[in-house]
Amino acid sequence: MKFAIPVLLGILPLAGQDIKMPANLDRLEAKASEVVNVQLDGALIQLASRFLSDKDPDEANVKRLVGGLKGIYVKSFEFDERDQYNKSDVEELRAQLRAPAWARIVGASSKKKGENSEVYLKTEGGQITGLAVIVTDPKELTIINIVGSIRPEDIRDLGGHMGIPKIDIGPDKKDKKDKDKEDDK
Amino acid sequence: MMDDFEKQLQEALSRKEPSPFFEARVLGAVKRQARERRASMRMWWATAVAAVLIVVAVSVWQHQRNEQAREEATGREAKARLELALKITSVKLQKISQKVEGI
Repeated sequence: MKFAIPVLLGILPLAGQDIKMPANLDRLEAKASEVVNVQLDGALIQLASRFLSDKDPDEANVKRLVGGLKGIYVKSFEFDERDQYNKSDVEELRAQLRAPAWARIVGASSKKKGENSEVYLKTEGGQITGLAVIVTDPKELTIINIVGSIRPEDIRDLGGHMGIPKIDIGPDKKDKKDKDKEDDK
Repeated sequence: MMDDFEKQLQEALSRKEPSPFFEARVLGAVKRQARERRASMRMWWATAVAAVLIVVAVSVWQHQRNEQAREEATGREAKARLELALKITSVKLQKISQKVEGI
């Protein structure tokens, strides 16, 4: 019983977060040239959504999107020098994102550039209850954990709205493919 | 000469009957003064209570205003952080889509 309270106090701050961020990540702040650290629990997300307008279509969309979220945690480091973080920290994260709760839905890597991007989904009873994204390259480490009901494509499609840049991939490729086809003819 | 003086003195010091309504006038004046004092006290208390109520009301209003301002600042800060988090996530997911579609 004596241990119950300290144990509970230790667990509670992590309760909202699906994955535990490795402790070493905090030390990276000193080495990184740019650091983003966002930690929003359910209460703060709900408070933030009160300041999103219902009249503005973009803000109303975001409000609907975050309505079912219980937490958003983002840690992003950019470095001037290569290989400033330990691969073991990333492995520690990956170890938490295992079946049956988690499934890796996307994994894209480039050995040449040393880039690696992974998207994981957490499902419970056929419902998405979490999203995790790990992006690594020699000069960058980004970890995203969203807790709650969310579809990755809904967040991806925010590009071009709310000041979020839209990385225009479709049309260019389509044009290129069409052009290739025309050249073939 | 001396007799005149004594006579005048005796007259001056002799008991004189008050006018018929003297007592009533004195008692009336005393009551009126007491009533005025009570009214003045009531007025003082009313003013003091009103002042205290105004101070309390202003303090409560100020506190609520500060709380509202604090909550609004926290909310706006949270909104900015939410937008930043969504921006990073959206950009990363778009880039991953780009890579996947490029494969």
